[in-house]
Amino acid sequence: MFFHIVLERNMQLHPRYFGRNLRDNLVSKLMKDVEGTCSGRHGFVVAVTGIENVGKGLIRDGTGFVTFPVKYQCVVFRPFKGEILEAVVTMVNKMGFFAEAGPVQIFVSNHLIPDDMEFQSGDMPNYTTSDGSVKIQKDSEVRLKIIGTRVDATEIFCIGTIKDDFLGVINDPATI
Amino acid sequence: MRSRGMDLDEDEYGEENDDDLAVDDDEAEVEVEVEEADRGASRKRRRSGFIDDDAEEVDEDEDEEEDDEDDFDARGGRKRQYKRRDASNFFDEEAQVDSDEDEEEEEGEDDFIVEEGTDLPDEDGGMRMLSRRMLPHDQEEHEDLEAMARSIQERYGRRVTDYDEEATDVEQQALLPSVRDPKLWMVKCAIGREREAAVCLMQKYIDKGSELQIRSAVALDHLKNYIYVEADKEAHVREACKGLRSIFAQKITLVPIREMTDVLSVESKAIDLSRDTWVRMKIGTYKGDLAKVVDVDNVRQRVTVKLIPRIDLQALANKLEGREVVKKKAFVPPPRFMNVDEARELHIRVEHRRDPMTGERFETIGGMMFKDGFLYKTVSIKSISAQNIKPTFDELEKFRKPGENGDGDVASLSTLFANRKKGHFMKGDAVIVIKGDLKNLKGWVEKVDEDNVHIRPEIKGLPKTLAVNERELCKYFEPGNHVKVVSGTQEGATGMVVKVEQHVLIILSDTTKEHIRVFADDVVESSEVTTGVTRIGDYELHDLVLLDNLSFGVIIRVESEAFQVLKGVPDRPEVALVKLREIKCKIDKKISVQDRFKNTVSTKDVVRIVEGPCKGKQGPVEHIYRGVLFIYDRHHLEHAGFICSKAQSCVVVGGSRSHGDRNGDAYSRFPSLRTPPRIPQSPRKFSRGGPPINSGGRHRGGRGHDGLAGATVKIRQGPYKGYRGRVIEVNGTSVRVELESQMKVVTVDRNHISDNVTVTPYRESSRYGMGSETPMHPSRTPLHPYMTPMRDPGATPIHDGMRTPMRDRAWNPYTPMSPLRDNNWEDGNPGSWGTSPQYQPGSPPSRMYEAPTPGAGWASTPGGNYSEAGTPRDNSAYGNAPSPYLPSTPGGQPTTPNSASYLPGTPGGQPMTPGTGGLDMMSPVIGADSEGPWFVPDILVNVRRAGEESIVGIIREVLPDGSCRVALGSSGNGETITALPSEMEAVVPRKSDKIKIMGGALRGATGKLIGVDGTDGIVKVDDTLDVKILDLVILAKLAQS
Repeated sequence: MFFHIVLERNMQLHPRYFGRNLRDNLVSKLMKDVEGTCSGRHGFVVAVTGIENVGKGLIRDGTGFVTFPVKYQCVVFRPFKGEILEAVVTMVNKMGFFAEAGPVQIFVSNHLIPDDMEFQSGDMPNYTTSDGSVKIQKDSEVRLKIIGTRVDATEIFCIGTIKDDFLGVINDPATI
Repeated sequence: MRSRGMDLDEDEYGEENDDDLAVDDDEAEVEVEVEEADRGASRKRRRSGFIDDDAEEVDEDEDEEEDDEDDFDARGGRKRQYKRRDASNFFDEEAQVDSDEDEEEEEGEDDFIVEEGTDLPDEDGGMRMLSRRMLPHDQEEHEDLEAMARSIQERYGRRVTDYDEEATDVEQQALLPSVRDPKLWMVKCAIGREREAAVCLMQKYIDKGSELQIRSAVALDHLKNYIYVEADKEAHVREACKGLRSIFAQKITLVPIREMTDVLSVESKAIDLSRDTWVRMKIGTYKGDLAKVVDVDNVRQRVTVKLIPRIDLQALANKLEGREVVKKKAFVPPPRFMNVDEARELHIRVEHRRDPMTGERFETIGGMMFKDGFLYKTVSIKSISAQNIKPTFDELEKFRKPGENGDGDVASLSTLFANRKKGHFMKGDAVIVIKGDLKNLKGWVEKVDEDNVHIRPEIKGLPKTLAVNERELCKYFEPGNHVKVVSGTQEGATGMVVKVEQHVLIILSDTTKEHIRVFADDVVESSEVTTGVTRIGDYELHDLVLLDNLSFGVIIRVESEAFQVLKGVPDRPEVALVKLREIKCKIDKKISVQDRFKNTVSTKDVVRIVEGPCKGKQGPVEHIYRGVLFIYDRHHLEHAGFICSKAQSCVVVGGSRSHGDRNGDAYSRFPSLRTPPRIPQSPRKFSRGGPPINSGGRHRGGRGHDGLAGATVKIRQGPYKGYRGRVIEVNGTSVRVELESQMKVVTVDRNHISDNVTVTPYRESSRYGMGSETPMHPSRTPLHPYMTPMRDPGATPIHDGMRTPMRDRAWNPYTPMSPLRDNNWEDGNPGSWGTSPQYQPGSPPSRMYEAPTPGAGWASTPGGNYSEAGTPRDNSAYGNAPSPYLPSTPGGQPTTPNSASYLPGTPGGQPMTPGTGGLDMMSPVIGADSEGPWFVPDILVNVRRAGEESIVGIIREVLPDGSCRVALGSSGNGETITALPSEMEAVVPRKSDKIKIMGGALRGATGKLIGVDGTDGIVKVDDTLDVKILDLVILAKLAQS
């Protein structure tokens, strides 16, 4: 789920950037620093959309670096248990398949793939129904439900299922 | 003799009396062996009974005794034993006789009784005891049977209450032996004659009576070679044992009071062997094998178990046919399901039988019963062990037949519960009831008592907490739970539950991304992420280790006692299971190797594999050893993500990090200051380089004073490796460095110094000043006028970027310029590159790229090279070729007369994009998916022609041969010229510029650059409003229309 929230961060800036463009530098550094990061509480920071305010800088003794408390608005993406997501399959193997929804990696175990879909190995490993009408392979788009999440420092890993109503392949690249 | 007889008489009274009591007291416990009911002996005894009340007949008795002894002498010990046994046996009857007759005075003081606790259910009678004990003399003469019966009644009644009372702990405690009680002595006896010894003692007691001051003698079935004797003093024991053959009284040991109870406490037999219990065989071929109880015969103490047969069919066939069977003792056939057809093939007779009791059909082979491939075997309860059985998953799997499904499993798994540890359930655990009325009720553990677990049920309307027996509970997990395995073979692993199959969970391991099957009992919910055990001894997961046989590999999994090691064999993944002792040492070297294009690869550098089975994989290098890289690719699922590859089959992607960090990253974070990342090879390197003029070489010359002097450098090689110091003087190829740590000035080869120390802008620029370069300048200089203007419009960094590879090679390429370059070329492109005249230092300036000569040179290497040029492999080859001169070289290509002829056929883009295009090709990203020519219409370019200032223009049209029609002027209103791609360079967009995408899937699309991130630009594409991250290289500023 996406959220637009306000976060705060203390930015350290080298004195050499003080000057006219200080604020710009600060902002670009902020974007560089936070975009794409992941925290367990908020999920992935997708984009910084604006700066609420930049506090007074505090000069650090010894280094000359200045710390600015920066409040910024950003869009975060955080997957939740039970959430339904659309994702692109990135890898298929006999244990299941991996899919990605933006920065989130989701694994769908073969136990969580409908029983009528079977793994077909080969050049393009895939899961196919017995009649061949539905096929999950790399680059397929699937709709899945997240049943578990694990949050690391740098990534969120989810386990999903497509064994439910209205879940499964929504767009198969092979048929386009 | 006489006196003995007298004693006996006295005793006999008591004896009878006591036997009477004993029978009353503890009927069940008088386990007497009736192996040979010798009537004679009985009669004899009876007579002796008469003798008892008639002292005059003692003689007769004596005779009898003598007879006995004669018998004994004549027939040996065996006989004697029997006799004695018979005698003891007789007590029962005697007692009855006594009570029947009921005329004797019963005033025995010392009575024989058989103590409780001696009951052993087996036929042989486990223990025998003789004991003396004071009994309350509650018995008066009984005149009639009724009175007798009454008294018996009374005693029985009492007994019942006694038992009840005994049940309480306090009572039990009071019964424990104290210091005042007689002690227990352990006496050695002949092996196998423990019982005999005890019986002998008993007989002796009978014979000798109070003279013998021992209280009891005990033989335990499970204790060989020893009997226990209860007595107050050791001397008494000695005395009693004197003259008995089977007892060796030399060594008498006192049993400590505390252990006395243990001696006589009976091993709890309360194992409820019920059907479907898992047991293990204790003896025989099947020793240690898991078996499942299918039937229990408590009376006969036998169980029928289901086993996976270990039958050598061939041997069986031989045996059945009466052939000689070679006994191979050491060989135990592996467990395998019986295949009846196979047996038939070997001409083994297979009968079908119906079990008379259950009606089930069995196949019978040579007396063994089989069903569904399992062997059904009836064994003694003693030959199986039912305690602490922990079947492994594999074993259970084997037992599971297709037909059997979950339900049966849970029932059988109940055995597992029996072996649960204390504290298995913890507060907060989610549990489910698996047995009884509340089956399938879910809840959470609130409190744990001894055996009962109080759970808070999930369903409303039930009491707040319910007490449920531990055995009826099972931990409960739902898919998605993150759990940790706390016992079993997978102990320590964590993962997410993927599926719950009754009692079994399928977990997706966090580290290996593999499925693990575990019992729900073995896991707890946990948010922790671990790999399980990650180290044994000094070796940790993902360490590079040297093995015994001098092979090496990376530890990819730590198992309970061994490591899984991915061996350093580049061609195919080879995994070995290695024990701790097989590991020689950890390899912890910080070395670097060269990749396919002689780029330095050190650990943590990101490389891409361009050859072999793992081609296309990409990831940071974790270890380097003997030219083999271990690359970690998080998308690679096997071998914990590790890939082993030869350094030669890899290319560095995006520059070596070990060098890249030198200048600090702070700078590059800011787009305005950052180098436009034309050159992926450490684009940041020269970001603060001075103006191009510096590199022109004018300041240089090996005169000892160049920019390097005064700079702080670090010595990379040689005896002073690792030292830092200030450069005092540069002297040709050597520099004199004043070391920081030692008051010393040393002379070091300038190739041996590096500059990854704190950077000063001064030094940055000075880096160009390299004396050793001087000879090359003639050849390079022309390049610059040609290149420099192109970068003038604020694009200085580009230039630096261009040069980066030079420095990346850490000086080295500089000095031996030409030869090295030649090598490189040969590396990258087989063929005549190196020999091409254009590389000669003396080749004419600036013109050289357009001169016909090189063209001829190209022409002499026709087809092959160029046709390959478009393939990704070669592109990346270009991209990674380290020679700093590379950029110019491809630049030259298309300008050769031949270029047009092969251009259209090669969409590789390279020939079409000379100059900058060539540079761009250095980006592996582009190189890999270069699609089509570089330039697109409507972008701003800088047009430079040799000797002219660069002019901004707008591409109006791209001609088929790669050249473009460019309208000069920033708004495109100047004159229109035709420019070769080599003369143009796209204007690097800045943030919030409108851009056009020149390559990749989105080629031709327009958008807005909303941010810059390193070498990537964040682009909002106009059409789709998508935000894409694209390499800056393929972005060009869009002309305002």
